[in-house]
Amino acid sequence: MPDDVPHADASSDRLTRFQQEVGELRVSGGAANPERLGGRIGIVIMVVAAAGGVLSWYGAYTAGAFEEIQRLIIAGGLFVGLGVVGAVVWVRNSFTRYLRYWLVRLIYEQREQTEQLVADHHDQMERLIAALKERG
Amino acid sequence: MSTAPETVLELRHVRAGYGHVDVLHGVELSVHRGEVYALLGPNGAGKSTTLGVASGRITPHAGSVVLGGRDVTGASADAVARVGVCLVPEGRGVFPNLTVADNLRMATFTGTSFATVQERAFGHFPRLAERRRQIAGTLSGGEQQMLSLARALATDPALLLIDELSMGLAPLVVAELYGHVRRIADGGLPILLVEQFGNDILEIADVAGIMLHGRIQHEGEPADISARLAEAYLGDERKEHQDAR
Repeated sequence: MPDDVPHADASSDRLTRFQQEVGELRVSGGAANPERLGGRIGIVIMVVAAAGGVLSWYGAYTAGAFEEIQRLIIAGGLFVGLGVVGAVVWVRNSFTRYLRYWLVRLIYEQREQTEQLVADHHDQMERLIAALKERG
Repeated sequence: MSTAPETVLELRHVRAGYGHVDVLHGVELSVHRGEVYALLGPNGAGKSTTLGVASGRITPHAGSVVLGGRDVTGASADAVARVGVCLVPEGRGVFPNLTVADNLRMATFTGTSFATVQERAFGHFPRLAERRRQIAGTLSGGEQQMLSLARALATDPALLLIDELSMGLAPLVVAELYGHVRRIADGGLPILLVEQFGNDILEIADVAGIMLHGRIQHEGEPADISARLAEAYLGDERKEHQDAR
């Protein structure tokens, strides 16, 4: 390799620039496991919707005025809708988590199988070479 | 040598993984300016996940990622790449149907002119200049790895992360590439290099660590790590066999 190969520009200047740019970096905090958070949000929505629905319809059952009964039944319907939204959010996130887990597991298993296969082939080749050497 | 080298990358008690699966269980690691840090470990130890965390592709569940002294945990991968953290992925990551020149053109996304990109790339790897019109997929494995490194260097990185540089390459080619890596680091660029097998890499590394089961079990001078390597790997294998029984 020739001696005049340029070095990467990682001198003090580059490091200073790097530190400045990192300082200006907008860090959102991120989410390590957004699906877990999404699943929990879905559960909370479902619980709130179920409680709201029960309260609304119970209120409608005990209410005296017709307008009030009408309002509470409509509110109960909306809470049922909200419950469905919560269920969709929960199923979507749970499914994504499961598929991610399944994919990772598949990758690990395939990797292990490949290593085992290579090791077996290696052993067989060594035995073959040893047998050929013995025969001269 | 400076007594207090500037820390470019620091991982503090990092725990990370993929969904349900935790891979890293409290990783501690520091890379300083002009240093080659060799992270060694068997398959599945968490080496590539560590690079994923350092490059912002994986957000840790716990712990923090510190770049240039600032905690950037949770920063997006593109933001981390934009400040100069460059990952050379496992398996080279070149575009096999494009020419060498067109592969290098991909590095102009940082705003660097194509002429500058070529100047930097061919300065490091003159052999690529001879093959600039060749389709990247027809290059030898070593040349493809050179192209991948050249493309990374052309973006003027502040930290280089390299995943399994030696994978699928002949020992002589690997030795040549390690020589390049050492020279790049001598220019001041810190490099975190992940490898499965360590004998050659330890010759050019400043610091080395052995990663097992998502933790850095040993860290220190390459000579010390070299002595511990077989023990760590075989000890790990023995334990796995005992557990299996």
